[in-house]
Amino acid sequence: MKLYFADTIFSPIFRRYFFYFDSYPLVIQIAIILTTIAITATIIAYGSILYRRYSGWKRDRRLAKLNPRIDDLITDTVILNEELALGTPPEKIELDLSGFARLKYRDMFVRQALIDRIMHYRKNFVGDLGYLLRQLYIDLDLEKDSVKKLKSPQWNKKVQGLVELTALDMQISDVNILPLTNSKNRELRAEARHAYIKLSKNEPFKFFDIATEPLLMWDQIELFKIITTNKDIVLPNFARWVTYSNNKSIVSFCLKLIIHYNQTEAIPAVIKLLDNRDHYLRADAIQCLGKLKVEEAEDKLVSIYNNQPLNCQIEILKALGRIGSGRHLEFLKSEFIRSQDFDIRKNAARSIIKHGALSQNMLGDLMSVSSEENQLILKHCMNPLIKY
Amino acid sequence: MRDDESSIWELLAMFYEGAVYVYGTTLLLTYGMLAIFSIYGIRKFKMSESNTDYNNLLSSPLAPGISIIAPAFNEGVTIITNVRSLLTINYPKFEVIIINDGSTDDTLAKMVAVFELVQVDFAYNATLKTRPVQRIFKSSNPAYSRLIVIDKENGKSKADAVNAGINVASFAYFMCTDVDCIIEKDALLKLVKPLISSEKYRVIAAGATLRMSNSCEVDNGVITRIRPPRKWLARFQEMEYLRAFVLGKMGWDVVNCVPNVSGGLGMFDREIAVKAGGYDASSFGEDMELMYRMIRYCCDQKIEYAIRHIPITLCWTEGPETVQVFSRQRTRWARGLAQLQAFHFPMMFSNSYGRMGWVVFPYAFFFELLAPMIEFLGLVYYIVMTLFGLINWPFAIILLVFVYTYSVMVSTLAILWDQVTFRTYKTWREVFSLCVMPLFEMVVYHPLIMFFSLRGYWYYLTGKKHGWGNMQRKGFNTNDDSGTLLTQTAR
Repeated sequence: MKLYFADTIFSPIFRRYFFYFDSYPLVIQIAIILTTIAITATIIAYGSILYRRYSGWKRDRRLAKLNPRIDDLITDTVILNEELALGTPPEKIELDLSGFARLKYRDMFVRQALIDRIMHYRKNFVGDLGYLLRQLYIDLDLEKDSVKKLKSPQWNKKVQGLVELTALDMQISDVNILPLTNSKNRELRAEARHAYIKLSKNEPFKFFDIATEPLLMWDQIELFKIITTNKDIVLPNFARWVTYSNNKSIVSFCLKLIIHYNQTEAIPAVIKLLDNRDHYLRADAIQCLGKLKVEEAEDKLVSIYNNQPLNCQIEILKALGRIGSGRHLEFLKSEFIRSQDFDIRKNAARSIIKHGALSQNMLGDLMSVSSEENQLILKHCMNPLIKY
Repeated sequence: MRDDESSIWELLAMFYEGAVYVYGTTLLLTYGMLAIFSIYGIRKFKMSESNTDYNNLLSSPLAPGISIIAPAFNEGVTIITNVRSLLTINYPKFEVIIINDGSTDDTLAKMVAVFELVQVDFAYNATLKTRPVQRIFKSSNPAYSRLIVIDKENGKSKADAVNAGINVASFAYFMCTDVDCIIEKDALLKLVKPLISSEKYRVIAAGATLRMSNSCEVDNGVITRIRPPRKWLARFQEMEYLRAFVLGKMGWDVVNCVPNVSGGLGMFDREIAVKAGGYDASSFGEDMELMYRMIRYCCDQKIEYAIRHIPITLCWTEGPETVQVFSRQRTRWARGLAQLQAFHFPMMFSNSYGRMGWVVFPYAFFFELLAPMIEFLGLVYYIVMTLFGLINWPFAIILLVFVYTYSVMVSTLAILWDQVTFRTYKTWREVFSLCVMPLFEMVVYHPLIMFFSLRGYWYYLTGKKHGWGNMQRKGFNTNDDSGTLLTQTAR
């Protein structure tokens, strides 16, 4: 039967062409090879889609069964711990792990699920309960898994290890973590810096001294959150890095921290930064002075105004509005009237208005003498519905 | 003499066949390369994403401000739901700028009534030239304090309206979208990350994957159930979008050669966009045109730029379900591409434009602009050769099977990569319904695109007037997919 089909139907093609691959033109040989690859890859792709969906579904189902059991065990062992309720200090409590043994927690999947759930609870519980959660993590030997990840050659595993150890407040030696804070890999570098800030008890900002890689805006946002929400952190005078650091992003970040913590002792260092050659840093410094309402910086800001690029000029106008001493209202007025730049006029107007009662008369005058466009700018800035 | 003539024809035929072979092989190898690059990019993105806590940004005073710009023209049916949806996006510092581009229906009236809008004296700085802005509104209700509505004369293009929005925007970044698109709640958080986390480059724009909303369930402007479209034409588009975004743009992202950011959803660096001159109101492909000008500006100013793409779906848009509407859309896109390539042709193979001049532009020129023409010529050639009995059928079939299987492979890989990124669809059946589309694309969908593209080029060459046309849209204000068809006019 097979021969019949080959001889009659497929013969013209297969007998004549396919069986003599070597004699085909190169173009056809390549086409046949690529067709075979394409068909194989398509079949593998279909198989992979099926496999991924199946394994994902299986994983979800397993987690859906496992997580409630873990939650129950954590609730019984830690959250509703009787000894803790009776006032026993958490460091003297021995946790009952028999329930966890029934979970077959030697299985890697179960162990990872346990780590994830403990981390989840740790985010929501501090104090004694937080301590007991950490203890549970140690007693179940889950710490070893995290340390193993930290030693992995894969950067994402290292990051995962760092995240876990940091979340559970585990110590990592400086030797292991500090080199990672200057890693070429952005994700790893950022996570190492977060971990260092969170875990280093003595000098959490030490990596600022050795940071050679930039602190990107995204990293700054994450670090800012970690620093400002960590109550145990010992705050240094950030002027130290404003003065000495060669890393511009570190200086810029420190200026933001100076504003947040209202570190008035850093003001001299910030004023000194006005002479920096980098205009982005100067703009940050001006913003910092404005937000700290440094009156003694006003004269210097006005004196350097004409030599500054647009971004710094706008920051100076904003700073004068924030400080609001009234000593430079005439300067603001002249900029509002004289400037051809829309943003300069808008920021000058906004700063004049920010002076409140001090600028009431000036505003009346300006409204009466200004051009139609400038009047519109004033109305715009005075309208409480318009925020920016 | 006759021998000479026939040898010339044979020579020409050989040259043509050789050229087409080189062209086709390069195109297919490029797709193969993009498939490899894109899975590398997706893996990297997923690893990074698994360690990212967007809550840090959500509660940060350092979060950069973002202006959402959405033009609306006769969107009265869905405007309220869509604006509400935009206002509830998760982000700490943003404003929503809706531009009523001279609607002739009740779009503006509805917004004024529902959002308690009042006209304000707004200092409008026309950095980018647009049709006159008549009024600007703000809400008197603090709940809608983020909303700004611009009422302007119709500019007969989305570009003109968006430019007015850019003029009003207060922040350093703006996200451009269509008011009828459904935006994922975390879209701003996820799109801004590439813009503020690049080490080497100034990221001037970022985009994400778009999908069809046609058969999805929507509740109050939020997608509650994702499904591939039931109608075959929209489902073909879903597959095409996946291939273009997840495989194509993600692959180009790895080598920093993303050609453009979709008009449906894109975040841009406002300073560069303004300095580059904003959107071109006369362009039929305004989104790609803006990208080209922004890139041009960066190259001229020696700014090390990057355009980023992220493989997750952050925007759902309604795809045409009828051939008539589809034809209008694709004809316009093709016309826009031809217009754009002609205008920016000096960038081709220019050292001054680096990878734009040597990779992005030539790729768009040879494999996007010329592809329909080469295909059409190929078909004509095929027919002529058949009529003269000069086709070697077994070899022709082998080549056809090769092209077919390869294109099926590329599209299937795109679907697989999408599944690797996120298991978007709930059931096996839904995934299967998408997986079968590549099998029919070459014979059903692709010829349509070729035809409409050629028509677009023809309109461009002849300068035929082309309106934005009407698009039948379903409203999104139902979570019942079989809900009433709400007809409205869109550009």
